[in-house]
Amino acid sequence: MIEPIVLWLLAILLAPFFSAVILKVKAFFGGKKGPPILINYYTLIKLFQKGSVYSTSTTVVFKLGPVVSMGTAVVALMFLPIAGRLPLISFNGDVIFVLYLLGLGRFFTIAAAMDTASPFEGMGAAREAYFPIICEATMFMILILFIKITGILSLSGYFAGPQALFIWKAAGPQMFFIIIALFIVLLTENARVPVDDPATHLELTMIHEVMVLDHSGPDFAFIELGAFCKLFFYSTMVASLVFPFDMGTPMADIGLFWGSLLVVYAAVGVMESIMARYRMDLVPKFILTSFALAFFATIITLEF
Amino acid sequence: MDLFFLSLIIILLGGVLPLFAGRQFTAIKTVAVAGIGAGCLLGWIDSGIKLSQAVPFSRSFQYLKMFSLSFQIDSLSAFFLVIIFSISFFATVYSYHYMNKPEKAVRVSVNYLFFALLIVSMALVVASGNMIAFMLSWEIMSLSSFFLVIYNYQLPENRKAGYLYLVFSHVGAMSIFAAFGIMYGQTGGFEFTDAAGMTETVKILIFILAFIGFGSKAGIFPFHVWLPHAHPAAPSHISAVMSGVMIKTGIYGILRIYAMLNLHTPVFGEIVLIAGMISGILGVIYALGQYDLKKILAYSSVENIGIILIGIGIGMIGVSSNQPVMAILGFSGGLLHLLNHSIFKSLLFMGAGIVLQKTGTRSIEVLGGLIKQMKITGTTFLIGSLAISGLPPFNGFVSEFLIYLGGFKGVMLEKTPFVLSLLGIISMAVIGGLALACFSRVLGVVFQGEPRSPAAVNRDEKGPAMLLPMLTLAAACVLIGVFPQVFMESAVKAASSLGLGYGRIPIEPFMELTGHITRAAAIFFAVLLLILMLRILLYRNKLITRSGTWGCGFTQPTVKMQYTGSSYAASILGFFKTLAPLTEDHPAIRGRFPEKTHYHSKISDIAELHMENVIVRPVMFLFDHLRWIQHGEIHLYIGYILLAIVVLLFFV
Repeated sequence: MIEPIVLWLLAILLAPFFSAVILKVKAFFGGKKGPPILINYYTLIKLFQKGSVYSTSTTVVFKLGPVVSMGTAVVALMFLPIAGRLPLISFNGDVIFVLYLLGLGRFFTIAAAMDTASPFEGMGAAREAYFPIICEATMFMILILFIKITGILSLSGYFAGPQALFIWKAAGPQMFFIIIALFIVLLTENARVPVDDPATHLELTMIHEVMVLDHSGPDFAFIELGAFCKLFFYSTMVASLVFPFDMGTPMADIGLFWGSLLVVYAAVGVMESIMARYRMDLVPKFILTSFALAFFATIITLEF
Repeated sequence: MDLFFLSLIIILLGGVLPLFAGRQFTAIKTVAVAGIGAGCLLGWIDSGIKLSQAVPFSRSFQYLKMFSLSFQIDSLSAFFLVIIFSISFFATVYSYHYMNKPEKAVRVSVNYLFFALLIVSMALVVASGNMIAFMLSWEIMSLSSFFLVIYNYQLPENRKAGYLYLVFSHVGAMSIFAAFGIMYGQTGGFEFTDAAGMTETVKILIFILAFIGFGSKAGIFPFHVWLPHAHPAAPSHISAVMSGVMIKTGIYGILRIYAMLNLHTPVFGEIVLIAGMISGILGVIYALGQYDLKKILAYSSVENIGIILIGIGIGMIGVSSNQPVMAILGFSGGLLHLLNHSIFKSLLFMGAGIVLQKTGTRSIEVLGGLIKQMKITGTTFLIGSLAISGLPPFNGFVSEFLIYLGGFKGVMLEKTPFVLSLLGIISMAVIGGLALACFSRVLGVVFQGEPRSPAAVNRDEKGPAMLLPMLTLAAACVLIGVFPQVFMESAVKAASSLGLGYGRIPIEPFMELTGHITRAAAIFFAVLLLILMLRILLYRNKLITRSGTWGCGFTQPTVKMQYTGSSYAASILGFFKTLAPLTEDHPAIRGRFPEKTHYHSKISDIAELHMENVIVRPVMFLFDHLRWIQHGEIHLYIGYILLAIVVLLFFV
C-alpha cells in the first residue's frame, strides 16, 4: 500500500521536472542554453505566492475550473501503473472511468473559459471541445485492441508488470501503429505542437493557453500542475508501451521507467523543434490519422 | 381497489375538477396540482413497492361485452411506472409557478385535464396486458399529448408542430396496428402472452413493423422529425414529461414486443444497435446546430434514445450470441440510462422553462450571463449538463459505463457481434465527446459570460415551486452517480422480466461494479476537497482584485464580441457537413458606403430535408390523381360501401 502512494506522489512531484525536459530539448535545437531545468518549480512557487485578479464577468464556475481540472488529472494518476507497479486503485472498467474523468476536467476548463466572456477564450474553448472528440474515438479503438488481446479492461491490465510485454508478444507489429496513435493523442490532449503551440504569442492560434488567459495566482498554478500531471499520464502510457520490459526487481523497473519517460518527453521536445504547428483545419485530419492507425491495428489482429 | 387504479383515479380527478373552478386561476392551479401531484405520489410509492417486491399484479375488465381489457404489472412495467409517476410528480409541482397567466385560466384548466389524461394513459400503456388495452391507452396518450402541444395554438408554428406530431403518431400507430394485426391473425388472441407459435419470418416482420411504430414515438432517426417541433411548442413542464417520459413508452413497446416474440435472432440486435448509433450521433450533431434552447434539448433526446438503443441492442446481441453477462449489462445499462435521461432531461427542460419565462426568448444567441442572477437555475442546469454529457460522478456516467462494459464483452466475440460491438463502442465515444461540446456550448452561451441583449439583463428566479423540483432532480443526478446500487438493482430486476431464460439473475457481480463507482467517486470528492482546502490556505491574506476580462490588449470590448453558439459549434459542424448541411444567408458588403447587412445560418436535418422529396411529394402526387374517387355524390359513396362488403364477402 505504501509503494503505490509513494509512486503517485512522486509522479505529481516530478511531473513539472519532466515538462522542463521538453523546454531543454527545444533550447538545444535552437542552439540556446534554455531555462533552468527546475524552471517549472520556480514558476509554481512564484504563482503560489501571488494573489489573483478576477474578471468582473466571472462566477464561481471560473474558480472551480482549476480545482476540478487539477483534481481530475491527479485522480487519473491514481489508476495508472507507474513503473509497471500496481496502481493505487484498479477495477474492471477503470479505463473508462479515467477517460471520462479527464472529460470532466475538460468540461470545467471550457466552462471556466466561457465564464470570462472573452472572444479569445471562447475560440479556445470551441477547439478544446472539438479535437478531443476524435481522440476519444482513438482511445476507445486502442482499448478494443487491448481487451481483445488481454481480456482485461483496466489500466493495470495493460501497463502493470509483464502485461505490456504480453501485448507486444501477441501483437508486435501492430504495436508500432498503437504507439504512434497514442503519441498523437498525447500531443493533442496536452496541447503540444503540431496541434497547439504552447510558446506562441498570438492568442488567435492557441487552444489551451488562450483558455486560461484570465487565470492568475494559485488558480493558475493549479492549472499548470494539472497540465503537467495530464502530460505525465499520457507519457507514462506511451513509455510503458515503448519499453515494455519487466526487469524483475522493483528497483531496476523503476530505474528503467524514469529513463524511458525521459525518452518520451525528449521525443515530444524533438517533435516541437522540427515541426511547425498545423493550420487549424488540418488538425482534425492529423488526429484522424491516429484513429485510422488504431483501427488498422485492430483489424490486422483479427483472426479469420 | 388496488392502489394503482386508485392513484389513476385521483390523477383524473385532479384533471377534471379544475374545469368546474371557472376562471379562479389560483383555485384551478391548486386543485390540479394537489390532485395530480397526490395521485402521482401515490402511484410512485405503489409502483416502487411493486418493483422491489416483484409480485406480479394483474386485473382485467370487460369492454363492450366483447373484449377484455387486461392489465398486468411485472417488474419491467413497474420500472417504467416509477419513472412515469416520479417525473410527472415533479413536473406537476413545477407547473404551479410556471403557469402564470391568469388571463388564460380556462385554457390552463383544459391543459391540466389533458396533462392528467396523459399521465394516466402513459401508466396504462406500460401496465397493459393485452393488445386492446394497449392500443386504447396508446391512442389516448397520443391524442392528449397532441392537445398539450397545441396549448399555444394562436401561433401558426405551434399548430404546424401539433399537426406534424399528429401525423407521425398516427403513422406510427398504423404500423403498430399492422404488427398487432399480424399477431392476431397468427395466434387468434389479443393477449400479449400467446406469441409463441409463429414462424421466424413472421416474427421478424412483426418486430420491424413494431420498431417503426414505436420508433416514431420514441424519436428514433429518421422518425424523430416531429420531436424538435413539438417540444418547443409545448409548455416546459409538458416538454419535460413528453421528452423525459412519454417518448420512453416507445422503448417500452420495443422491449415488450421483444420479450413477447421470444426469438433470439441476431437480426433484432442488429436493427436496434444500428438505429441507436444513427440516432445517437445525428441527434447530438443536430443538437449542436440549433439556436433554440428547447430544440437543442429535443435533439439531445434523440441522441439519448440512441444511447438507450445501443444499450438494448448490445443486450439483444448478448442474448443471441449466448453471453448472459453482456446481455444483462446491455439491457440494464439501457434501462438505467432511460431512468437517468428522464431525470436530467426533465431537469434541463425545467431550467429552459425558467429561462423562457423570465427572459421571454428561447434563442440562446441573445442570452448570456444568466447564472449570476439565476443561481439555482444555473447550478442545477450545470449539474444536468454534466450528467447528460455522461461525466462522472453523475448519473449519466453510470449507465454509459454499463453499456460500455457490455460492449467490451461483445468485442471479445467473433465476426458480426464483434463488428457491431466495436461500432457501438466507438459511436458511444463520439457521442460522449459531442454531447460534452453541445452542453458546454449551451451552458457557456446561456448562463455564462455577459448578457448578449437586454432580454438577459437582471433576471430573477422567483417561484419556489419551480426551483424545488429542479433541486431535487439535480440531487438525484448526483445521488445515482455516486450510489448507483439501488437503481442498478431495479434496472437488473426490470431486465429480468424480459424472459431471457436466465432464471434468477445473480445481483452480486453487478453490485461489485456499482461499489467500484462509489469508491472512485468518493476518492475523487476527497481529492477535490483537499485541493479546495489547499486553495483556501493559499489564498489566505492575499490580495484579490476584480477587473475587466483581459482583452489581449484591446480595451473597448463589447458583449457582441463574445463567442456565440453558432461560432462555438461551427468547426465541429463543418466536420460533419455532409450529415448536417449548413445554409447561410449573408449578403456581401459592397461599395464605399455599404448598406446594413445580416447573417443567418441554419443547420438542416437531413431527415426533414428529404422527407419532403421522398415521402410528402410522392404521396401528394398519388392522392392528387386519386381525387376523382372523392366526388361528393352520396349515392355513389353508398355504392362504394356495398361494393366493399360484397368483395369482402367473397374473400373472407
